[in-house]
Amino acid sequence: MVSIGVWLNAFLTLCILSFLYKDNPFFRFAESLFAGMSLGYYIGLANQQTLMPNLFGPLFGDFSGNFVLLIPMALGILLYFRYIPKVAWMARLALAVYIGYYVGVMFLQKLHGEVLPQSSDTILRLRGIGGLDILWNVIFIVGVISVLLYFYFSAEHKGALGRISRVGIWFLMISFGASFGYTIMARISLLMGRFSFLVNDWIRPLVGAS
Amino acid sequence: MDAKKLLYVDRRVIYLLVAIGALIPIIRPIGLPTVPTEPVWNLFNRIEELGPDDAVIISFDYGPSSEPELNPMAQAILRHCFQRRVKVLVMALFPLGGVNMAIGQLDRIASEFDGLEYGVDYVNLGYKDGAQAAMKRMDISIEALFPSDVNGDPVADMPVMAGARNYDDVSIVISLATGIIGEYWVNLVNAQFGVPVAVGCTAVSAPKYYAYLRAGQMMSLLGGLKGGSEYEKLLVDKYDFARELYETPEVKVSSAMAGMDVQSIVHLIIIVFIIFGNAMYFLMKKQEKEG
Repeated sequence: MVSIGVWLNAFLTLCILSFLYKDNPFFRFAESLFAGMSLGYYIGLANQQTLMPNLFGPLFGDFSGNFVLLIPMALGILLYFRYIPKVAWMARLALAVYIGYYVGVMFLQKLHGEVLPQSSDTILRLRGIGGLDILWNVIFIVGVISVLLYFYFSAEHKGALGRISRVGIWFLMISFGASFGYTIMARISLLMGRFSFLVNDWIRPLVGAS
Repeated sequence: MDAKKLLYVDRRVIYLLVAIGALIPIIRPIGLPTVPTEPVWNLFNRIEELGPDDAVIISFDYGPSSEPELNPMAQAILRHCFQRRVKVLVMALFPLGGVNMAIGQLDRIASEFDGLEYGVDYVNLGYKDGAQAAMKRMDISIEALFPSDVNGDPVADMPVMAGARNYDDVSIVISLATGIIGEYWVNLVNAQFGVPVAVGCTAVSAPKYYAYLRAGQMMSLLGGLKGGSEYEKLLVDKYDFARELYETPEVKVSSAMAGMDVQSIVHLIIIVFIIFGNAMYFLMKKQEKEG
């Protein structure tokens, strides 16, 4: 027995897949439904998982002990002032706090977690190791330097800089190829998830096959 | 042969061939071999070293859109941890459905093992907003960040939390990630607190994680469905219960190993079309030259 939920799921899946043939009202219906439900889900989640336990719960539970939470609450409300033209400038106050916080967090995080360890990883040995390792290390260093120089735009890419940049383009092309291969794998996984549902959860029970 | 006509073949023909290529292995699995790679071995071996006195964090940082790719990975890792009786702290830092993924997978996998007790062997801490702030707070106290579990029950009295006060008590963090939160675990938690981090990510984000892996900032990377299939293979080869489980139809059809049949066939179709498109392009150029 196939449940009504499975039927609905299958119908909406086929509506979305029908776009591959051409745009049609079924696809637009499913697309709008998906967008609306996602937004509703997100609002509900933000209310239940963020606002209630972190703001309203503590404020209603123990106001005198948590009145400091009124500050982030006010900043949050200020963000919506941008929809009132006369006081739209006030939204910038909240944005300034928001950006300041993120710059502070991200600055250290990027420096400590990316710039320094990634830079130190490009300092590689070329002596005292096997021949193949030397080759890989040379390729690695050439790749890093040539790609960095490709993104150096303060001088015209002519002469030596132009030739090194060309090498950088080759390294970039290879990395784009790897990304493309992985992207196909990701998209096929999604297609497979839907097809697997249609075959194993909808059609097989429908025709009585195991 | 008119190369131009062949070069501009209707895209729907390609869609149809990809659909057939994807459907055939789903209806009749082929069982192509899976060969585990070193990054996947690293995580498997690390969990093999752990036991009932150790705790791991598994962060469900993905939503329903990445379910086909990351669910098999999550299931295999949870099965391995539960088999080793490692204490598991599950949480979700991804807003759009992460906590639902965690609830669904944890309940399903925990029910497969006898003697596992909620609050003693594992706990679902639920979702917490503000990924970086949450990660920083856990260095001081996990319980302070998650005073109650996903059901709203206080975690203070749960035995599982006694052995996991902060990052010092956590043997490894495993993030199953669809977006940037996996990166935060690496460039914030690993970099600032030194906690070993493994990331199981969607295939589309795997290339960027290789830079972290190479630099030693991550101890393991499971990239997309392939990473999941490799982990399943290791589990199946090592444990009899897993071999029997992955032979059952319900588990087999949703496993990453079965999914890799589809991947292989569709990749072959796409490679053929890339070669065909390039060959037709050069043939067309030649025909244009010849007038």
